[in-house]
Amino acid sequence: MNARDPMAVATPTHALLQSTRDIVRAQLSPRVSEIDAGHYPVEILKALASAGAMSAHLKAPHGLGDFGLAIQAMAEVSRACGATGFMVWCQAVCGLYLQEAQSVQLREVDLPRHASGMRVGGTALSNPMKSYAQIEQFLLSADPVPGGYRVSGTLPWVSNLATDHYCGAIAALNGMESGQELMFLLRCDNPGIELKACPSFSGMEGTGTYALHLKDYWVPESDVIASPSRPLIKRIRSAFVMLQCGIAAGIIQGAIDSMWEVEPQLGHVNQYLDDRPDALQAELDSLLERVLALAQTPYDDRDEFFVRVLDARAHGGELALRAAQSALLHQGARGYLMSSAVQRRVRESHFVAIVTPAIKHLRKEMDRLTREELPA
Amino acid sequence: MSEYICKACGHIYNEDAGDPESGLAPGTRFEDIPDDWMCPLCGVTKRDFIPFEPRAIEAFTPVTSGRKALSGASHYDLVIVGAGTAGWEMAEAAREAWAECSIALITGCSGDRYDKPLISVALAKGLTPESMVKESGSLAAQRLGVDLYAHTQVISLSPSQSRIRTTRGSFSYGDVVLAHGARARIPEGLSPRECWRVNHIDHYRAMRDEVASGLKDILIVGAGLIGVEMANDLALVGHRVVLIDAQHRPLAALVRDHSTLEPLMQAWASLPIRFIGGVEVSGSQSGVDQRKSILLSSGEIVEVDLILAAAGLLTPDRLAESAALEWDNGICVNPQTLQTSSKHIYALGDCVSVNGRVSRFIEPIRRQARTIASQVAGNTLVPYEVREVPIRLKATSHPITLSTSG
Repeated sequence: MNARDPMAVATPTHALLQSTRDIVRAQLSPRVSEIDAGHYPVEILKALASAGAMSAHLKAPHGLGDFGLAIQAMAEVSRACGATGFMVWCQAVCGLYLQEAQSVQLREVDLPRHASGMRVGGTALSNPMKSYAQIEQFLLSADPVPGGYRVSGTLPWVSNLATDHYCGAIAALNGMESGQELMFLLRCDNPGIELKACPSFSGMEGTGTYALHLKDYWVPESDVIASPSRPLIKRIRSAFVMLQCGIAAGIIQGAIDSMWEVEPQLGHVNQYLDDRPDALQAELDSLLERVLALAQTPYDDRDEFFVRVLDARAHGGELALRAAQSALLHQGARGYLMSSAVQRRVRESHFVAIVTPAIKHLRKEMDRLTREELPA
Repeated sequence: MSEYICKACGHIYNEDAGDPESGLAPGTRFEDIPDDWMCPLCGVTKRDFIPFEPRAIEAFTPVTSGRKALSGASHYDLVIVGAGTAGWEMAEAAREAWAECSIALITGCSGDRYDKPLISVALAKGLTPESMVKESGSLAAQRLGVDLYAHTQVISLSPSQSRIRTTRGSFSYGDVVLAHGARARIPEGLSPRECWRVNHIDHYRAMRDEVASGLKDILIVGAGLIGVEMANDLALVGHRVVLIDAQHRPLAALVRDHSTLEPLMQAWASLPIRFIGGVEVSGSQSGVDQRKSILLSSGEIVEVDLILAAAGLLTPDRLAESAALEWDNGICVNPQTLQTSSKHIYALGDCVSVNGRVSRFIEPIRRQARTIASQVAGNTLVPYEVREVPIRLKATSHPITLSTSG
């Protein structure tokens, strides 16, 4: 064992985690299958937000400035329902955009409503994140006009949305060199935007996910989060990625729970399987320890630090796949029932592995960031 | 027949196939598709489609399986990090000590084997970088029965899980040997994007390409062994070299008796080398024709075509830090066993330090590899001994023995 204190993970439960667990038990757990099939649980999200489960990472007075606690709360939710855990992440990073926004209106009017759960939002940064990593091109473009910008383009799938929600988005500025993008709050109830239903996904259908079609959508200066956006993205990229570790940690823990559940009946045959629950738990605990250590300095913007965050996130994706797969094998035929929690969790683990940044993107980005830079 | 790809989701519209479900008959040309047509997969519009051209993948083989043919393997008895002299000597010694051992060798480069000391005399000897490769990485891997993971970065180590994480997946290991070497230090006042380096054959090759187009003005920062040898080699084929160092004489850290350098200084009198001692770089500016103006701490400005960093090496600490290994200027190892502060992790070559001292010479590496191999194989320990070895300056016609070091 390495020298770190294993008690770091087992500190006394914070009151926030207890109230999160209570909401999960009473409201979320009974509805997880419906959410997987398409029910968007806005009432549960608002309950979680008002308990503070989506804002622990925000600065006071809207939060506790504690990223570790925010990640643990997200894990508590994801342990029961990966889809809802993902929406907790959407709301949490959108809160981060509002907190860091250059617009006073966003910081002083929208942020308090968002943090309390009165308003709900998501993040449309999958495409720009891949653009920054040289994987895709920008899909939105903005024209500067007096008093603001006109934005057009289409984004394929953005989550945690409804007609009265919003999301953080980034558009390339027409006629400007790259590196001059605009980051703004995209309000779904404004003119110039249309939400279109997506084709069926294999799971996590109740995540309020839509294609967004923008035509001359108006962005007033008061909705600008950052222009240019790159300095802000560099500052929050580690926070953005490390928060996702909460989704992975919860899904892994849920899978381990399902293995223990059948141990009394099936342990005598399950002992022959790879990836037994005690070994997975040890690996998860050590991963979570690493994540909580990184969560102490979420705004460290050095590449070396970002590589450590990307590595933890990749480990979370890989371990989620292994744990969900193993949980299915541990449960056997009953795990193959469509209604089984482990069946759902296999699909949730696939989501963690492919959502931006996907395992392959994480590896490509780590490769880029760890190479020696040479003269061009 | 043309194909168009959706920028958002990657769906490909093939003109021959059309999109019958949306009413586009097979053979419908892209320009004839109505503007309100949407991507059948993700719903973006025709505007977000662009002509599809398959993206080229760099032409290299990332994974070569050795005779144990364990492609896709998740466990190795031994994982070696780095494929320089230290990494390959380690693979040779481990194979000799333990015939059945499963070995992975992971490296950020191609893994080709070459003699690094030849780099600083290559121009005068007429050697090309290609001719300095004595065995390709994949052939060496097959000969030694090693699974070679080339162009693969090792990201972290977890001793408690005995796992190593890389950009091509993670593996569990019995033992790990860190042989990843060190990187050229970027001098104060300069950025990695403006300094060429010669601590790896790939970096040297890039610099050779840069100087191939004619005689250049070259600033070499650092007049230690590498800086002096490179100055000598570049000047012998006609490049104009300005060599600077913070010390007042070349090789100041290695040479106590300055008369030792007399023959070299006399030879340099007829070469286009100018040494400026007691200065550092204060700043740089791009000039015309891609030249650079370098401001020295003396106030002098030198105009050059390229800058070569020879100001020493730094050992990267990412892996040591991830495994919480003891560190003192390099990875601390036990001087007899070369074990790090973690039981199944060893280290050798340029990345190790003994009592805070690093040794960046070739001679000890093979002996270090034998010491580690004896332990990995579970044989009687062959203890490593720190020996005094002569350091020689390879200045072509004026080789000079400078001092000794372990």
